[in-house]
Amino acid sequence: MSTGHLALEFALDTGTSRTVLRINEQRQPLKVVRAFDLDAGAALVHIHNLSGGVLAGDRLSLDLTVGPRASAQLTSTGATRVYRSRPSAPPAEFSIRVRVCQDGLLEYLPDPLIPFAGCHYAQHTEVELEDGAGLFWWETIAPGREARGEVFSYDALELSFRLQAGGLPVAIERSDLDPAVRPLSSAARLGPYRYFSSFYICRAGTDANTWRDLETSLREVAQQLSSPVIIWGLSALPAHGIVVRALSLNGREIASGLVAFWRVAKQLLYGRDAVIPRKIY
Amino acid sequence: MHLADSALPIGSAAHSFGLESLVAEELLTVDALGGFLHDCLEESGMLEGAFCRAAHNTGAARWTELNELLSARKPARESRLAGLALGRRFMQLFLAMEGGYDPGGEPHYCTAFGYAGRALGIEEAVTVSAYLHQSMSALISACQRLLPLGQQRAARLLWDLKPAIVEAARANHVELHAAGSFTPLVEMASMRHVALATRLFIS
Repeated sequence: MSTGHLALEFALDTGTSRTVLRINEQRQPLKVVRAFDLDAGAALVHIHNLSGGVLAGDRLSLDLTVGPRASAQLTSTGATRVYRSRPSAPPAEFSIRVRVCQDGLLEYLPDPLIPFAGCHYAQHTEVELEDGAGLFWWETIAPGREARGEVFSYDALELSFRLQAGGLPVAIERSDLDPAVRPLSSAARLGPYRYFSSFYICRAGTDANTWRDLETSLREVAQQLSSPVIIWGLSALPAHGIVVRALSLNGREIASGLVAFWRVAKQLLYGRDAVIPRKIY
Repeated sequence: MHLADSALPIGSAAHSFGLESLVAEELLTVDALGGFLHDCLEESGMLEGAFCRAAHNTGAARWTELNELLSARKPARESRLAGLALGRRFMQLFLAMEGGYDPGGEPHYCTAFGYAGRALGIEEAVTVSAYLHQSMSALISACQRLLPLGQQRAARLLWDLKPAIVEAARANHVELHAAGSFTPLVEMASMRHVALATRLFIS
């Protein structure tokens, strides 16, 4: 059981026009080593969990600030494994708070979350975007360790996500998954699919025409990538962005699909290529 | 009862909230309908019930915030806009018939229904039950046009849902900030509805 914490700040160095990382606090097992320079002055950071996964009772937290006009890309070093809990153990918790300041950009691109059989995990995320701030944020949830026959064998998964732009709530997700009580195979929930993924694409203050154009382009991608194994869909949020969703029978095609959407959206919103995080895949 | 009648002229018969895509993609069958609707009640029914209850409790106070919070919880635009269109028409009709203060803004159907229940002095749980009942009735009606579902079986489906409707309406322990639902396949169906070659429904 640990209380890992990371407080990271990305700021634009106006002298070099590069984004620099300031580590305000880091407490194990969460750790970052260094930032890597990316094209267009962005900084890439890998978030490590030195314990190899999330243990019962862990209280982990991540505070991220992306300063004005700074550009940051965050990823994990591998899938987030949430280990089995003892029945008496408190749930593991991960709290994420993010602020992207005016004209900043955050690309949060972690590997999937794998909840092991018997785990109890709660993840709460709050993201605030200021005017002109951009966000590419994806998250994929696996059904468990499929190779071991663990499919929806976790005890409980509480996921909440709140995205606010310019003070307006634009996306709120809150799910309390308890597969033993409320079967996920219901057509009201996942139906035949096992993996689910959300990808938020936002830039606060962008005009409606741009979103319409992007939606049209992304809808073509969704049509091309959908198959009997995986379905993709997307929708404009109430304001400032688009959400892309995937439901899949397996996890193999999700990552490449997310990248395909990311490339199209980044090019249209920023006129730049999306560069896949440097790591071993 | 009048306001919860499916014949109320607000356009609810034109919406399937994603069911049309689910049926078209063969993800929903008549035999699975009972369980599907029950699970819808456990998820989106609990969410909309919580917002209907909140509108009943607070009336016009925090009206804009309440409806914005619900919009943010509806990721599929077609379903979100359907709820807003029904809410707007319901509120216009209600105010035209009953009079009273118009809170304005963009109400969702469930919040407008809760507002009307409060204005008429109808008990909170009864108001939420009535909303959920008409909501299930509308989904079943949509299914009758999409699936080989006869009238008797449709009536039986709605009858069998009543205990779950009452349970959801009594779930007043659900705090608004904690209200959520997990219906990714239904949301996905709503997102993909626009791409269907032939559509009977607006959503």
